[in-house]
Amino acid sequence: MKKLNKRWLAVIPAAAAGLLLAACGNSSSSTSSKKQTLNWMASTEVQTLDVSKVTDATSVDQLNNSLEGLYRLGNNAKVENALATSTKVSKDGKTWVFTLRKNAKWSNGDPVTAKDFVYSWRRTVNPKTASEYAYLFEGIKNAAQITAGKKPVSSLGIKADGKYKLTVTLDKRIPYFKLLMGFAIFFPENENAVKKYGSKYGTASKYMVYNGPFVQKGWTGSNLSWKLVKNKNYWDKKHVKLDTINYSVQKTPSTSLNLYQSNKLDVTLLDAQGSKNYKGKSGYVIRKKDATQYLEPNLKKDAFFKNAKLRQAFSMAINRSALSTTLGGANLAARTVSPEGISKVNGEDYTTYAATSATKAVTAYNPTKAKKLFKEAMKELGKSKLSLTLVSYDDDVSKKAAEFVQSQLESNLKGVTVTVQSIPKKSALSRMQSGNFDLALTGWFADFSDPISFLDLFTTNNSYNFGHWSNTSYDKLIAQTKTEANTAKRYALLKQAEDILVEQEGVIPLYHADEAWLVRSDVKGVVFNGAGSNYSFKDAYIK
Amino acid sequence: MARYLLKRIFYMILTLLIVATVTFFLMKMMPGSPYANEEKMTAQQIRIMNEQYGLNKPIWVQYLIYIAGVFHGDFGVSFQYSNQPVSTLIGSRLGASVQLGLQALILGVILGVIIGAIAAMKQGTWVDSTATVISIIGKSVPNFVLAVLLQYYIGLKLGWFPIAGWGSFSQTILPTLALCVGPLAETARFIRTSMVDTLSSDYIELGRAKGLSRTEVIRKHALRNSMIPLVTLIGPYAVALMTGSMVIENIFNIPGIGEQFVKSILTNDYPTIMGVTMVYSIGLVIILLITDIVYSLIDPRIRLAGSED
Repeated sequence: MKKLNKRWLAVIPAAAAGLLLAACGNSSSSTSSKKQTLNWMASTEVQTLDVSKVTDATSVDQLNNSLEGLYRLGNNAKVENALATSTKVSKDGKTWVFTLRKNAKWSNGDPVTAKDFVYSWRRTVNPKTASEYAYLFEGIKNAAQITAGKKPVSSLGIKADGKYKLTVTLDKRIPYFKLLMGFAIFFPENENAVKKYGSKYGTASKYMVYNGPFVQKGWTGSNLSWKLVKNKNYWDKKHVKLDTINYSVQKTPSTSLNLYQSNKLDVTLLDAQGSKNYKGKSGYVIRKKDATQYLEPNLKKDAFFKNAKLRQAFSMAINRSALSTTLGGANLAARTVSPEGISKVNGEDYTTYAATSATKAVTAYNPTKAKKLFKEAMKELGKSKLSLTLVSYDDDVSKKAAEFVQSQLESNLKGVTVTVQSIPKKSALSRMQSGNFDLALTGWFADFSDPISFLDLFTTNNSYNFGHWSNTSYDKLIAQTKTEANTAKRYALLKQAEDILVEQEGVIPLYHADEAWLVRSDVKGVVFNGAGSNYSFKDAYIK
Repeated sequence: MARYLLKRIFYMILTLLIVATVTFFLMKMMPGSPYANEEKMTAQQIRIMNEQYGLNKPIWVQYLIYIAGVFHGDFGVSFQYSNQPVSTLIGSRLGASVQLGLQALILGVILGVIIGAIAAMKQGTWVDSTATVISIIGKSVPNFVLAVLLQYYIGLKLGWFPIAGWGSFSQTILPTLALCVGPLAETARFIRTSMVDTLSSDYIELGRAKGLSRTEVIRKHALRNSMIPLVTLIGPYAVALMTGSMVIENIFNIPGIGEQFVKSILTNDYPTIMGVTMVYSIGLVIILLITDIVYSLIDPRIRLAGSED
């Protein structure tokens, strides 16, 4: 009892002091809000800081803020000079000469030079590194042959002319090459650091060197919270306003919402229910990811799917708006395969530019027309019933979407029976790759903000064209977009291709998987892009 | 005893080898590759990657390479967490799970014993019924439901404990409470049944007849003997709790091993699947051995085979 009393005696003043401090905290909250500290969340863990090995969005975001490449992407994927101060492109678009700034430094004191790019790119395409993103280098001279082990790493089309001049040679013109240069996998690496840390390189904050606006501190390789702290060696540090970004991994949306409500987080990702609850309320923001989910009919296994009317009937039988609502407030009904916000054409959204009355009609919910087309198709095919297996992933959203599609097809098209098989992603992908499905519910997210990132998938020999839809005119148009130097003409070609794909319903676009967030109103200047490196905090601040 | 132990250790190693072998071959039957970007890579690129990682070799060769590595202390490198050795990956995450599991186990068992004992002593009364209801609720309500409720009401609304995170003791309280409900309910149910049996035994009657007080009878004889079967229950429970709960760890942002059990399988992260399976198996065989030894120590009727010589 005495002990208890003593403890209470100790607790009471401490509690009083705590209350006093809390009160002071409240009274000074208007000034403390100006403290340039941002409490941010990631929904998955950091997996690596190794530029050549990175694959996941959280790690890419860390690299985008703690490292810097030739360019940094601003809002709407606007390319801005970063380490590059000027760029010269040859007439044929195959030779790029970058002049680098001379005042950039690594956090170990080494200057950032052209040699760091040469080292990084060679390391990534080297088959021994086994980089999962090496395929993005295809088109840079000899990259594909090097990755296949057929040519030496030194033959890669990148060369340092002195310390601050970098020359890149391409096999063919890459219209979106500038966008790629803003993606973390193309950032430089410091050879001294890679060699010094050996197999530990990039496995924790301390086994890494930085050249970006922030340096990462406190990530041990397995913990769920760390910091990005303003980099004193950064060449443009005067424009970096945030002192610290406290990061934490939030895997459960209800937890992050609780933390947001108790002011421990400045942002939170919302789940489907949260998105419905907070839609239209203060701080509600939709982040448009460059992602599309679609239904892929298997034309190789089921010859009846070669009938375009049948595919169009399937498309018109699905109420996409209702599907998006069922899945949560942030999803957007898809009227094109490329997602909204992926690109601008003369100030207009690419998807608005690409849409025609025909594409709109075929993606609109029209059960009457669907029934008519279905009847015609079945007559042409000499069939009265279709029994189909729909393969989808087994996460909650995919399962719900598959069940929704099943119910719409069965109720609107008499004679169609759909069996849903929701299985783990790896198994589902394997089934899709081997063609063991009638309908597949799958999707794609872009690595760079350009419609070609999506449209290339459905060319005749693309390995991701699981349904084997094939159209000669489409293939020709896509091939033309890859050599067309004129931007306006290139977009016109992309539009034509997109229209063929959607009108024909080679794949049936369903929805764009966007994200709903709550962001505190005093958080300003955060740059978000739906593809590649999602977040840039260089210009972010607390107002 | 020594001979018995040696024999058991031999069987333990054999068991582990069988577990490793079966897991390895089952795991290799799973479709897909371990690459995160699999869907974006062409078949040729996947083939090149497989060559780099030796995944193009026959499965039995891969198995022999893996087993040889394990005997040299090399559990491989994770695919999911590039460059991270599986031993480091598991080592750095196991601590949090073990701490949380132990806390939940200790708290759950203590409370369970108290509730179970009281229920048995007050058999047939409202106290007994309340204890039974608590046990049923504890057993049937999933711990993540409780976790979300605790987090919302005690963490957010009352602000008594941190909502989530890991690093201070106060951050362990809510997840411990959520996790302890399972062992609590199980223990309470077990102790009650066992103690009701014990209380009606002849030696308890004898003790009372000899003039021992009710408390002494309960404490020295009834409770002690009722707890023997509990040892069998706690062993596997301890392993399950200490190897982490994915849902609880995710809700409270705890950097534990729980998620790796599931995620490594979903991502085909072969070395990690093997690593976490072996950690679980090693934990289980060791705990089972300890359980048997403890059993023989506390229950004189049980003798370990071979220990008489």
